[in-house]
Amino acid sequence: METVLRNTRPGRKQMFLDPRSKLALCLTVFFVTLAGDGMGIMKYVQVVLAVIPIIFFLILGKVWLSVYYTALYAFSMTVPYLLAPHLPPVVNLLFTGIIVVSTQMIPAMSMFCFLVITTSVPEFVAAMDRMHMPRVVTVPVSSMFRFFPTIAEESSAIRDAMRQRKTGSIRQPMEMMEYRFVPLLMSLVSIGNDLSASALTRGLDAPGKRTSVCVLRFRAVDILVLVFCAAAVALLIASQAFGL
Amino acid sequence: MIKIDHVSFVYDQAEFGGRIEDINLTIEDGRVVLLCGESGSGKTTFTRLINGLIPSYYEGELTGEVYIDDLCVSREPLYKTAARVGSVFQNPKSQFYTVLADTEIVFACENLGMPREEILSRFDETVSSMHIEKLLGRNLFRMSGGEKQRIACASVDALRPDILVLDEPSSNLDISGIRDLRRIIALWKQAGKTVIICEHRLSWLKGLADRVIVFDSGRVSEDLPAEAFWLRTPEELHRAGLRAPFALSAIKADPAADSSGSLVFRGFEYKYKKASAESLHIHDLAVPEGSVVAVLGDNGAGKSTFARCLCGLEKKCSGVVTYQGKNYKTKDRIDLCYMVMQDVNHQLFAQSVLEETLLGSALAKGENPEAAASEVLEKLDLLEYKELHPMSLSGGQRQRVAIASAVASGRDVIVYDEPTSGLDYRHMKDVAGYIGRLAGTGRTQFVITHDAELVAECCDYYVFIKDGNVVRSGRWNGEDVDFISAYFADEGKEQACRA
Repeated sequence: METVLRNTRPGRKQMFLDPRSKLALCLTVFFVTLAGDGMGIMKYVQVVLAVIPIIFFLILGKVWLSVYYTALYAFSMTVPYLLAPHLPPVVNLLFTGIIVVSTQMIPAMSMFCFLVITTSVPEFVAAMDRMHMPRVVTVPVSSMFRFFPTIAEESSAIRDAMRQRKTGSIRQPMEMMEYRFVPLLMSLVSIGNDLSASALTRGLDAPGKRTSVCVLRFRAVDILVLVFCAAAVALLIASQAFGL
Repeated sequence: MIKIDHVSFVYDQAEFGGRIEDINLTIEDGRVVLLCGESGSGKTTFTRLINGLIPSYYEGELTGEVYIDDLCVSREPLYKTAARVGSVFQNPKSQFYTVLADTEIVFACENLGMPREEILSRFDETVSSMHIEKLLGRNLFRMSGGEKQRIACASVDALRPDILVLDEPSSNLDISGIRDLRRIIALWKQAGKTVIICEHRLSWLKGLADRVIVFDSGRVSEDLPAEAFWLRTPEELHRAGLRAPFALSAIKADPAADSSGSLVFRGFEYKYKKASAESLHIHDLAVPEGSVVAVLGDNGAGKSTFARCLCGLEKKCSGVVTYQGKNYKTKDRIDLCYMVMQDVNHQLFAQSVLEETLLGSALAKGENPEAAASEVLEKLDLLEYKELHPMSLSGGQRQRVAIASAVASGRDVIVYDEPTSGLDYRHMKDVAGYIGRLAGTGRTQFVITHDAELVAECCDYYVFIKDGNVVRSGRWNGEDVDFISAYFADEGKEQACRA
C-alpha cells in the first residue's frame, strides 16, 4: 500500500535531511548567532549562517518568503549602521538593542520554524529515541508539534466570539489579553486531558523499547551538514579564545 | 470475558463524571453491548473501568475489581490493558497524537514495540478492511469529524484488541459519519470482538447491539437483550430519559400562513481557498421572520459556511440579507446576527454570569442595565446563578449563559451551531424549550443540527443544503415531512453496512 510509512529517504518535505541533522543545524544557528559578537571572523560566519534559511525557503518553494527574509535581514544589517553616527546616543541605545535582537534572532527563529514544519511527530520521536533522550523529555516536546495547530484552531474560534461581542479590540489591550487567553487556556487544558487519556489507552506509557516505523539514517548530505555545524562551532570557540 | 465484581467508584474531582455504585456483571466474548442512560448516570465511568483509565488516570475511591479473562485491569498498569482493550472517545479533535493519518494508525503499535514489518502488515490490513485508503497521507487537522473518528477506530484496530470500548462516538458526527462508524462496528462484530458502546443516540445501533444495559444514578437499572429493548415505544424511552429511535412522526405539519416579513438572502457566494467542496452558492432564499429554521444537510455540504456567512464572520463572503426593508452586507451582519457556538467555552469571557450577559450587549447602554440583564437571565432560568463564574457551571447552564448573551446582544437573528450534540433526552428537551420561548419574542432563529428529535421538537421551517446550494426549503407540509423523515431515517438503515 502506498504510504509515507514506507518512505526510507527524506524527501523535499523533510528538506532531504535527517531530523537529527536539522536539530543540529537549528541549535548551531541559534547558539552561534546569539553567542557570536559579530567581531573578526564571526562577522562572516554569522552571515553564512543567516544564508541557510534562504536555502531552505527555496527548497520548500517559498520564493517570496526568501525575498522578504533577505530584505529584512539586509535592512537590519546595513541601514542602522549607516544611520547610527547621525543620531543622538539615547536613540542609538534603544535602536541598537532592537537591531541586535532582530539580526540575531531572525535566522534562529526561522530555523526553529523549519524544524517544526518539516519534521513529523514520529520522526522527531524516533530521532529523540536514537539520541537516548528519556521519555520525560520526548513526550511533552513532541506533543508541542501537535499543539501549535490546535492553538491556531482554538484561537480563531475565540477571535470570532470576541468579534461578535465587539470586545477586546486593540484599544483595550488588557481586556484583549484576558478575553483571549483565559478561554484559550481552558480549552487547551481540556484538550490536553482528553489527549493524554487517549494516548495512554494506546500504550504511551509502555516501558519497553518503542518501535519507530520511520527509518532514520545519516546520508552524505547529513554528514556534510554536521561537518558544517562543527566548523561553525569551532570557529565560534576560536574567535572567543584567540580573538580571531 | 469481562467480569465486573462489586465495583463502586467516586471521582476525586466531580467534574470528570458520575459515580457508580456496586456494579456487578459479566460480559461474554463477542457481544455488542449498548450502555445508555442520562448524562451523569455513570455509563462513561463504566467504560473507563474497562479500559483501565480508572484508576490509573482518573483518581478516586475504587472498591471491587475488574477482570478481563485473567488480567486484573484495576491493578495492572495501563499499557498492559492497552494491548487488549481499544478505546475510541467522544471528541474527534482531541484523540489524535500525531498529525498525519498514516502515522496515527500505527501510533499504538509503535508504543508497544512491535517489529516494524509486523506493524506495516497490520497497517495494510486495517486500511483495506476499513476502506480508508482515501484518507491516507492527509493531515488530521483538515479532516471532518467523521473522518477523524474513522482514523481513531483504525488506530485502535491496528492493535487487534479483543475488546473495544467506545464512549459516545457519534456525538459529533453527521448521518454519513454515523453510517461509516456503524460499518466499522459491524466489521468488529463479524470478527468476533466484544464491543461496548456508550451512547445517547440509539437508533443507529439497532440490529447491531446484542444487549442493552441502562444506567440510572450510578446503578444498573435494567439489563436486557436488545430485541426486548427495541420493542419499547418512544414514550417509554423518554420516561427513562433516553433518546428515542424515531420520533419523526412528531414533526408538526404547521399550515400557518406566512407571517408578513421575511429574511431574504441574495447572491451568497463563498469559496474556500483550497477545497471546493464546501463553497457556498445561494442566490435567492426567503425565510419567514420569527421562525425557527432547521439548517439540515450532510457534513461538508456547507451548513457551517452558511452560518458563518450569515453572521458576517467570513469577510470574503459576498451577498446581501434584506431584513425589515434594510439591506445588510457581510460586515453589517455582525450587528444583525449572533452565533451560539458548538463549543460555548469559546465565547464565555467574564467573571460572573451577570457580567457575561452585559459584556458587549445592547443592554449595557440602557438606563438600568442590571435589571434588564436580570430579566434576560430570568427567562433562561439563570437568575439564581448570576453572581457565579460561568466556568463553574455545568455544560447545559453554560450553554444557556451563551444564549443569554445572544439575547442581550439585542440582535434579531440567533444562530445555533449543533446545540444538542452529545446531549441526553432531558437536556435536548431543555434546549428545545428555551429556543421555543425565544421564538415568541419575534427573533428569527437558525438551528444547524443533525438531531432529528430537536428538529421535531422546536423547528417550524427548514433549509436543506447540499453541495453548497439550498436544494429545498419550506414549512412542514406533507411532502417536506416525508423528505426530511427519509433523510433522517437513513441513520438507522442497515443498507451498505456490510459493503
